[in-house]
Amino acid sequence: MSNLSQPIVQIKEVTKRIGSKTIIDNLSLDLPQGEVFGFLGPNGSGKTTTIRMMVGLMRMSKGDIIIGGSSIRTDYEKAIRHVGAIVENPEMYKYLTGYKNLLHYARMVPGISRNRIDEVIGLAGLDKRIDDKVKTYSLGMRQRLGVAQALLHKPSLLILDEPTNGLDPAGIRELRDYLRRLAAEEGTTVFVSSHLLSEMELMCDQVAIIQAGKLIDLRSLRPGGGASVGGTGLPAQVLFEVDQPDEAARVLQETIRTPDGVPVRLQVRAGEGAIVLDALRDDIAELNALLVAGGIRVYAIRSLSKSLEDQFLEVTGGESVV
Amino acid sequence: MFDFAALVANENMKIFRRVRSWIMLGLLVLLTAAISIIASVTASSTIKMWDMTSMELMILIPLANIFCVIIAADIVASEFTNGTIKLLLIRPWTRSKVLLSKYVSLLIFVLITLAVVYVSTLLINSLVFGYEGGVMAQQVFGVLDPGMSAWSYMNQYFLLQLVSFIVTVTLAFMISAVFRSSALAIGLSLFIVLMSEVLSQLFSLVNKPWVDYVLFQHLNLTKYLRMDAALGGSNQDMMTLGFSLAVLAGYYIVFMALSWFVFTKRDVAA
Ligand SMILES: Nc1ncnc2c1ncn2[C@@H]1O[C@H](COP(=O)(O)OP(=O)(O)OP(=O)(O)O)[C@@H](O)[C@H]1O
Ligand SMILES: [Mg+2]
Repeated sequence: MSNLSQPIVQIKEVTKRIGSKTIIDNLSLDLPQGEVFGFLGPNGSGKTTTIRMMVGLMRMSKGDIIIGGSSIRTDYEKAIRHVGAIVENPEMYKYLTGYKNLLHYARMVPGISRNRIDEVIGLAGLDKRIDDKVKTYSLGMRQRLGVAQALLHKPSLLILDEPTNGLDPAGIRELRDYLRRLAAEEGTTVFVSSHLLSEMELMCDQVAIIQAGKLIDLRSLRPGGGASVGGTGLPAQVLFEVDQPDEAARVLQETIRTPDGVPVRLQVRAGEGAIVLDALRDDIAELNALLVAGGIRVYAIRSLSKSLEDQFLEVTGGESVV
Repeated sequence: MFDFAALVANENMKIFRRVRSWIMLGLLVLLTAAISIIASVTASSTIKMWDMTSMELMILIPLANIFCVIIAADIVASEFTNGTIKLLLIRPWTRSKVLLSKYVSLLIFVLITLAVVYVSTLLINSLVFGYEGGVMAQQVFGVLDPGMSAWSYMNQYFLLQLVSFIVTVTLAFMISAVFRSSALAIGLSLFIVLMSEVLSQLFSLVNKPWVDYVLFQHLNLTKYLRMDAALGGSNQDMMTLGFSLAVLAGYYIVFMALSWFVFTKRDVAA
């Protein structure tokens, strides 16, 4: 793992307009290296469109995307070298065997050996059927072949658009474990879009939520991203009702830092007169003490612990298709 | 450059791993064999090898052209229709190079197809009717130039056919890149190629100077082999091979430019 602080992907103020419709609206997002990053959003919110722009299938109307230091816009061949991807459905050449499909993609990147092809076939669990034509494959098998093709050149960024689509529970679990291992052991950044919120919860370090082309929320699902004063357990969202939310935020951000020295991430809900942050149970009393010491009046402390699904419905307003 | 060869190898694999391509090439050989054998069995008078070749070419060349046009119309559009274009493009290659690899492998297919016709007509007819050497083109192909041998005619004929094949497949290739739908691209390209003879005749009725620049008036280049110096020089009104080639070159450049522009610039939403 090289420099962890340098994001592998920087999405910079990207806007996509098709006709008069703005599909992606000024989206900015940094993906840190070695994380599994979830990309959530209701149908039609622009997940696939964002991914298409990240891999150069669509042009941005505005903004830029930098992958591994190269712009996908001006230095495509270099930027895309870092990327392995599945975009929407895993369409393969049906009249070729699974093996020939992999060979096809392997030839397009120098330095992929036959051994590597066999290795990814093993990883995808396709050993038995790899010499059959893809037209005889089931959806899940094609999805596995799609993952295999994305892994061939050991990309440092893996972009998977709904990779669990069509996989059986065992397959989903295998994929999840594999992606986590990739991120942890090889420092691969994994960017996954999915509708299966519970899946994301189990798999991701961070999730970004988009709706109608706008980034509406970014949250950490792992210990370390939230407030930690040394307590144990898993962090949960906690809401503090206070008299001056902005002042309270300032007090906490001045005192509490994550292990990397970044001020604690919190959300100010001025309307409700509250601030919300991730904290461990043991830290809640500590946080309260800090606020009180800072001259803030605390009226209530509530745990907002919810499943990601609830949070998702909450932030997206439970709307269906936009 | 070696790497680019890998892209072409991929495209060739996608052409030749399909049964379709083998049926096309096989059909050209089978049809030649069938016509020759049936003719040799049923004919009352003796048939000469070159005469049969000349006759078969009139059937096989248009058929070969149709096959090449089908492959050309499908080669880009099928990637869009099947959605495979996405995985094809997200590799460390610019779109131009991906498109060029497709075009190169298409030209290879055209060369192979014409070679199959060339070899199978000559070989099968030599086997069935016996090889006949020292024949002049005047006797079998109706050429005016008395000094041209049958072999020389065959070679020039195929060279000129290659030129018009390249123009028609490039037209189909452009349609393929622009419409992105296999069915539409194949249908439209075939329609144009099949109608070109009829359209050519229709246009020749029009008495306007621009008619000389219509594509269809120039796709049949082999007619220049038959008229040749004797007649061509005396008739001022007659178009020349050079003029036809220049017009075709103009169309060719337009087809290529459009294919490249559309393929490299447009968003992929397949
Ligand atoms: N080629 C296109 N032309 C016009 N509008 C488009 C085009 N492609 C996508 N859109 C619109 O862009 C929006 C975002 O689509 P996108 O496919 O990115 O959504 P998504 O988040 O991937 O949805 P899903 O969860 O259903 O996969 C939708 O409203 C869609 O109608
Ligand atoms: Mg999608």
